[in-house]
Amino acid sequence: MIVCVAVVGHQNNPLYIQSFTEADDALKLHHIVHCSLDVIDERVNNPKKSGTTLNEAFLGLLYPTLNYKVYGYLTNTKVKFIMVTTDLDVRDTDVRSFFRKFHAAYVDAVSNPFHVPGKKITSRTFGESVGNIVRSYTFN
Amino acid sequence: MEEYPEELRTPPVSLVALFGYPELHASITKHLHSQQPPINALAFPDFSHLSQLLAHDDKINRTSSSSFRDPLSVSDPSSPNPSRSGGILKRDWLLKHRTKVPALVAAFFPSHDIFGDPTQWLQVCSDLDSLKSIIRPKNIKLVVVVVQSSPQEEISEDRLLALRKRAELDSKYVLFVNSSTDSELTLSLSRIASAFAELALAYYREEGRRIKSRAEKRSSNSIDSNVRYCFKVAVYAEFRRDWGEALKFYEEAYHSLHEMIGTSTRLPAVQRLVEIKTIAEQLHFKISTLLLHGGKLVEAVTWFHQHKASYEKVVGSTEFIFHHWEWMSRQFLVFAELLETSSATVQSFSSLNQGTSEMPLTEFEFYPAYYYQLAAHYLKDKKSALELLLSMSKTAQEIDSSSESVTPSVYVGQFAQLLEKGEVLTLHSITDEEYTRYIISEAKRFQDSFEIIAWLKRSYESFLDLKARRMAALCAFEVAREYFALADLSNAKLFFDIAANLYRQEGWVTLLWEVLGYLRECSRNLGAFKDFVELSLEMVTLPVTSYDASGNLGNKKYGPGGPATISGRESIHREVFTLVCREAELIQSTPENGFRLATDSPLHLEIDLVSPLRPVFIASVAFHEQMIKPSALCSITLSLLSHLPLPVEIDHLEVQFNQPACNFVIRNSQRPKETSGSSTVQSGSQVEDELSLVLVPNNWLRLTYAIKSEQSGKLECLSILAKLGPLFTICSRAESPAAMEDLPVWKHENRVESLPTKDPVLAFFGQKATQVEEPEPQVDVSLGASGPALVGEDFTMPIEVSSKGHAVYSGELKINLVDVGGGGLFSPREAEPLSLESHHVEICGIDGTEGNDESETETGNIKKIQQSFGLVSVPDLEVGESWSCKLQIKWHRPKPVMLFVSLGYLPHGSEASAQKVHIHKSLQIEGKMPLFISNRFMLPYRRDHLLLSKIKPAPDSEDMPSLPLNEKSVLVVSAKNSTEIALQLVSMSIELDEEEGETSCLIEQGGERGDTPGSANLAPGEEFKKVFTVIPTTRTPKLGLGSVHLKWRRQGGNTTEAFVSTKHKLPEVNVEASPLVMSLNCPPYAILGEPFTYAVRICNQTQLLQEAKFSLADAQSFVLSGSHSNTVSVLPKSEHVLSYKLVPLTCGQQQLPKITLTSVRYSAEFQPSAVASSVFVFPSAPQANSTAK
Repeated sequence: MIVCVAVVGHQNNPLYIQSFTEADDALKLHHIVHCSLDVIDERVNNPKKSGTTLNEAFLGLLYPTLNYKVYGYLTNTKVKFIMVTTDLDVRDTDVRSFFRKFHAAYVDAVSNPFHVPGKKITSRTFGESVGNIVRSYTFN
Repeated sequence: MEEYPEELRTPPVSLVALFGYPELHASITKHLHSQQPPINALAFPDFSHLSQLLAHDDKINRTSSSSFRDPLSVSDPSSPNPSRSGGILKRDWLLKHRTKVPALVAAFFPSHDIFGDPTQWLQVCSDLDSLKSIIRPKNIKLVVVVVQSSPQEEISEDRLLALRKRAELDSKYVLFVNSSTDSELTLSLSRIASAFAELALAYYREEGRRIKSRAEKRSSNSIDSNVRYCFKVAVYAEFRRDWGEALKFYEEAYHSLHEMIGTSTRLPAVQRLVEIKTIAEQLHFKISTLLLHGGKLVEAVTWFHQHKASYEKVVGSTEFIFHHWEWMSRQFLVFAELLETSSATVQSFSSLNQGTSEMPLTEFEFYPAYYYQLAAHYLKDKKSALELLLSMSKTAQEIDSSSESVTPSVYVGQFAQLLEKGEVLTLHSITDEEYTRYIISEAKRFQDSFEIIAWLKRSYESFLDLKARRMAALCAFEVAREYFALADLSNAKLFFDIAANLYRQEGWVTLLWEVLGYLRECSRNLGAFKDFVELSLEMVTLPVTSYDASGNLGNKKYGPGGPATISGRESIHREVFTLVCREAELIQSTPENGFRLATDSPLHLEIDLVSPLRPVFIASVAFHEQMIKPSALCSITLSLLSHLPLPVEIDHLEVQFNQPACNFVIRNSQRPKETSGSSTVQSGSQVEDELSLVLVPNNWLRLTYAIKSEQSGKLECLSILAKLGPLFTICSRAESPAAMEDLPVWKHENRVESLPTKDPVLAFFGQKATQVEEPEPQVDVSLGASGPALVGEDFTMPIEVSSKGHAVYSGELKINLVDVGGGGLFSPREAEPLSLESHHVEICGIDGTEGNDESETETGNIKKIQQSFGLVSVPDLEVGESWSCKLQIKWHRPKPVMLFVSLGYLPHGSEASAQKVHIHKSLQIEGKMPLFISNRFMLPYRRDHLLLSKIKPAPDSEDMPSLPLNEKSVLVVSAKNSTEIALQLVSMSIELDEEEGETSCLIEQGGERGDTPGSANLAPGEEFKKVFTVIPTTRTPKLGLGSVHLKWRRQGGNTTEAFVSTKHKLPEVNVEASPLVMSLNCPPYAILGEPFTYAVRICNQTQLLQEAKFSLADAQSFVLSGSHSNTVSVLPKSEHVLSYKLVPLTCGQQQLPKITLTSVRYSAEFQPSAVASSVFVFPSAPQANSTAK
């Protein structure tokens, strides 16, 4: 189950962060999302070391914590998408397709002429579409 | 890692035992240690110590082994349940094999014992027999070493054979040691070492094989024996340094052990699991160590993950889950320490390929920091589980460690009760209940917090080294929370601050809120009132926009800051403002805040541009004008913004400028006027009243006032101080609207932003500073320039300072000469900085005042004069007075120059602080050459010299005129007035430079002596010429002719003006002797039709015979008789005359037939000049001459 998704701006500031748990760990998820930015930094700065190709937006598994797995995605405009899931067996292709849909929803949201680039995303439509995408993905 | 026994942590080392001949033991032991791999040795001095070999020295072990070893004999009544006895691994087995059970025994005998006396031989035999009887059952190898004292000692073959038979040894293993010489000894030692190594290897291999076969034979047997066998095989493989096999069997043991979970029934449930997990832990440790030392980092990490995954869920009793968490935490900690110590981490990280496909690994899983962090996390879980358990059950609380004497039992992972029965100590197996009591009492003894903090700190530092700031911040936050829980507030504050800084920087508001909430609690408990207010205000102004706690952050485990909601902000706002804006008498009524405040302790907050408190109070100040006149009113707009969630009313505002005289106060007229003069503004400053001063959240409060400044220069608004209560002030740095930066935490918020001022131009370009102009100068400075300046003269520039409304006090005149073309006043090419000449234009002096006698006497009048700069003090002038001086400037080169004159003065004499008024004047002056001097040489008329250099000019010679030696040449010097004004030329003369010049050349003035010495008036453009004769007397290629000296002055000026003398250097000439001179003889004029004689004299001036070819061209206007061309020989120092008769045919100036002479010797051809070879032909004989006479 996806428990948290986040959009992080290119100055590593949160633009959108939403958790989908009933439990009381939203703050913990914020910490996890924030820490995973370190991994993204490391991957982007040392592309050779980590072996990922820079041409790809999907960054793969960032960082396994105790109960979660964190996946990342980096757009051309250096906006980062981060997804936290509790599923331990996840196929990369599923995550990729999730991020592709998420990216499309993000593009729709920022294409709104009233949206100022670099500001937090407060669109309710975006929130709804992200909720739908999240609910449609259960990786197991 | 330290809690594991030593024998587990280090790789095993083969062990041998030495008997007899103790003299040699030290050197052998040392040698064996230095082997690669090393061998440990047990040394016994003689065979009487034989019994100590393989001896058990522990009483408890012996008794317990009797009670545990044989599960079938139920002899010991103390074990109530026979099925529970036994275990998987004996605790001391590994230690025994590393320190007690040798792989071989080496028996040392001196050679004379063997080959000498039969009684001694018998002793040897009996020693060997007793040794064999001990070691045979254990399969321990035997080596016999015969120690020879000298190499020549005789050896009896029979005895040797008997010895071998007795010892049942191959001849290989009966060694000889010769200790007589060092070289022999080292040779023997290395032989011994290799034999020992070989035998030890064989022993461990055989032991391994034996156990392996036993395991195969009894494969149907219980799993625990299988685990045991695998472990032993692996240990023996390790003894042999066969890491691959060791790894294989450790893994096999590990997997078999895992099967035991849930199947084994031997021990009570809790203890059973504890035993399995303890052994799994040790096996895992061995496997990880082997993998990491083999450089297989990826495999090690993958293995660890499998280990974690397979035991994560093996919790055991949920009631005592803390024990499981402790175990998990230890796994992570040990692995972190292993990773840290293994060098493989550093080298091979770059070559990692991110693990396997089914288990992808990420970068941070290769860093120990990750595992330290998780170890701390599990330990925290343990701590909270333990606390929960202790709080839930009364019995758990009552347990203390003293009650039972439970100790680790013989088997790994098992515990037993130590009972004392008289002298004998016995171990009893215990029930689960006893065991849990034991672990709870053990757990209570430890302070987990300190370990959690230590590990998290280690993780924090290591993340910092990896430049993973966010992970480090999280660790710092966790450390701080631990400290907070321990009530170590100053340490907690330190680490909270680290985390808060990063979250502030990156704008993670929810995380920042949490940290600030903790920090606020810290400062509250520390009693730091100012910190508390600052932190509260920062929290209050965070862009938290969610409305209810049940929304996004539905979190029951809030920090002390509570949920990050708008209502949370508002409640903190109210709390802090009731605290700071309290009335004096209300102080006692707020003891619950924990602050004990004195009535007169004012709170003052400074907010600068980088302060996190900036959103509390932003002050943007804009002047409406960029330049203002002194004493004129100027509008200034103050725009104030606050992000506080609730409106705030300000008592009064103070606006502070860099010119304190301009400071002013804005008072809220609804508030009672302050009686005390506590305001920092001086009395008498401007005070404005405003109907209400309320800061509404997110709305600019715009105030416009008019101010005026008396002082010229920059006027800048520095800060705005808001007084919010009797004791609370906030001072915010003023900002220009044009250069206002976004707030770091608010800039990403999606909200409507308004401009600080209504006028958009002011909002985008407004500045907090303006320039106050100087007062208008009311003094005139005039430069009485007259025309262009002439090079060489002292050009006079009158400067007049006349007061027209201002008196002049301590006036100063600055004079500057600046090259118009840029750069300095001297050219760098000819720069000789020390010489005065290097300045092309310089100020020679400044004449004092006219008509002001007292200033003449003042020596301080002229303060300072340099070549291009002058400073003159101007005497004090009353209104209407004037003062003037004359500036003398001299040009050395023609050059346009800019003259800058600036006068600075004080309009009011007395004020020391008053500002000077400045007047600037500038004038461009052209420096011109007054006279243009040129010169020309003329050779004697109708005498042509063969000057070889003229005919064949040397390549490097320029256009240097050549003069014949000892001949009188004519020099015409002309001076042309190149200015616009008339000049009076007084004299012109040529002066030779040096004495040698005078000897080498003779220059006379041409014309008659009685003539005027060259005095003339020259109108603009007019030219003056003077003729000199030059007779060079020395032959030299470069003859200096000296220079022309001119004396002149401006015509029409006053006659007192001095003459200016100008020098002009004449060019150098080439003087040479001419070998041939051709002179033409011809009458001064001819008459049409009348014949005349035209003679060409060729004069040879050399000592040589000269052959000359000549040719004469026909001329149209003459009839000619004589030879046209011929070659003549001219004798030395003689001349040859060619004589022609000519009859002119046409009138007027006619060209004579042209003669061309070619010197054969010099192969040089020359002609007379055209002017010289012409004659005027009259139609008839002229009469004028006669009439004149």
